[in-house]
Amino acid sequence: MPNGNIIITEISLNQRSLLIWAAVLILVILIYLGSFGFMEEIDFVEMIEGFPEPLVSGLGMSPEMFGDVNQYHGGLVMLYGLLLASIYAMMLAGGMISREVDLGTVEFIYTRPVTRTAIVISKALSFVVLITILWIAAYLVSVAIGIFWVAPGVFDPNAQFTAHLAGYLASLAAGGIAFALAPLFDRIQGTTSLAIALGFAFFILNGLAQMYGQLEFFNYLSIHYYADMAGAAAGEPFVAGMAVLPAVFIAGVVVSAILLNRREFPA
Amino acid sequence: MYALETNRLTKYYGKNRGIVDVNLAIRDGEIFGFIGPNGVGKTTTIRLLLGLLKPTSGQARVFNRNVPTGGGKLYRRVGYVPSEVQYYPEMTGRDVLEYARGFYTAGDDQWVEELIDRLRIDPDKKIRAYSHGNRKKIGIIQALLHKPRLLIFDEPGSGLDPLIRQELFKILEEMNRKGASIFFSTHVLEEVERICHRVAMIKDGSIIHEGPVDRLPGREMRVVTLKFAGRDASATALSNLGVAEKLPSMPGYYRVISRLPANQLVGQLARFDLEYLKITDPSLEEIFFNLYEPSSGGGSNPDA
Repeated sequence: MPNGNIIITEISLNQRSLLIWAAVLILVILIYLGSFGFMEEIDFVEMIEGFPEPLVSGLGMSPEMFGDVNQYHGGLVMLYGLLLASIYAMMLAGGMISREVDLGTVEFIYTRPVTRTAIVISKALSFVVLITILWIAAYLVSVAIGIFWVAPGVFDPNAQFTAHLAGYLASLAAGGIAFALAPLFDRIQGTTSLAIALGFAFFILNGLAQMYGQLEFFNYLSIHYYADMAGAAAGEPFVAGMAVLPAVFIAGVVVSAILLNRREFPA
Repeated sequence: MYALETNRLTKYYGKNRGIVDVNLAIRDGEIFGFIGPNGVGKTTTIRLLLGLLKPTSGQARVFNRNVPTGGGKLYRRVGYVPSEVQYYPEMTGRDVLEYARGFYTAGDDQWVEELIDRLRIDPDKKIRAYSHGNRKKIGIIQALLHKPRLLIFDEPGSGLDPLIRQELFKILEEMNRKGASIFFSTHVLEEVERICHRVAMIKDGSIIHEGPVDRLPGREMRVVTLKFAGRDASATALSNLGVAEKLPSMPGYYRVISRLPANQLVGQLARFDLEYLKITDPSLEEIFFNLYEPSSGGGSNPDA
């Protein structure tokens, strides 16, 4: 049912954005993870102990993180990594759908001998390929920096693999949400704004849930909760949460196909 | 067998009329012109035939199968060129053609190269660098590259220079001789007269005439532009020719829409002492205005 022609073309059309976002993500990992030793030197733990506890929790930090490179990377560095990756994932997925209306190419793509469902599935598969490449790059760079520079012998590639896998699945889920909403938008600008807004919303909701016990239910609205990269890096992955994420992605693609099949394209 | 047919096809956009009860039947191997001024429902009809819009009521059928909303295999044998051709700006023309080619098993490289050559397009430029006319050429090639059995064109000649338009119509005639059916919308009468077997005229969303090209209403109409050598003829003499008006941009010139038979028209004109005379075919807008507007009628007083 998926169309190889569409998959290859979508990957080709989006390779430049992948390169840019992968470079930004790698730079963030390089700077943050590379700063681990520096954080130890300036006794960051003492410093954050002086901060109000809700604020520290809200920023995704804990004193233990600064003594354990695995928790530091999985729980803090990749918290921001996931923020970036989820914004990119939503921009990518949303753009794949809304671009056709925005550019006026609906008449090209939706008059081919391929169903709209097959078009959405093909685009979703090319999205999976691009996001997989992004996270493989992020993982390989993290492991290289962790093992060969920051914490040789301590940095645990297996725990980090689970943490990155959780982040990868969360990015897919973010993309699924964008796929579901994109048929409602006629402009790439609309899906880009949505991606940035939702990306930060997930981050902030997660932060608020950490800060205040009364707002814990906000967790359920954030992909960060289900990914729990800190737990995964500590060797305690939230398996049930990780299972929810691909389901969100699949549900998003299904909703996208349903909406697109109902959608009309007037001149 | 019909390549394409509609049965009381109706489309409303909310309360706004798109088309109402449109009945069309295009036989296999026929070239059918769908004519009307801008904004009367031509593109709406085409979009309904392609499944880009859903009918409010009625049916559209392509190769005896109902048009699905979500696209599909039905369009394997259909080629479509929209009025405004848009592609991915970062692609080259050749990328677009290869992308389009990837959807079909029919067609071959030699045919694509022939089309590129005949339509005189450099396919290796970026889409963003193409003019409207060159994008249209890429649009035409991508619609023809799989040698479709049914071609749907929305304003095929728009944006093309006259030489390329001639070449396009030659290609279409060749494809038609090989069995392709062609359905195209236009507001240019000349295009219809040149290649169509039958035509339908649409006005305000409804078909007002359907039949062979030589029975097209208004074909007998002529647009006469003239200037008298001496004193102007009387308003009555002018109105004997048809609906006359002064041309505000050209002092002393008159424009007359005449429905007189050719010999009578020439006879009437021979009575005048003329400095300038030009007789042309009417545009589609002129035919519509003079045949179908409520105020239209016989002669008129140009000085009124």
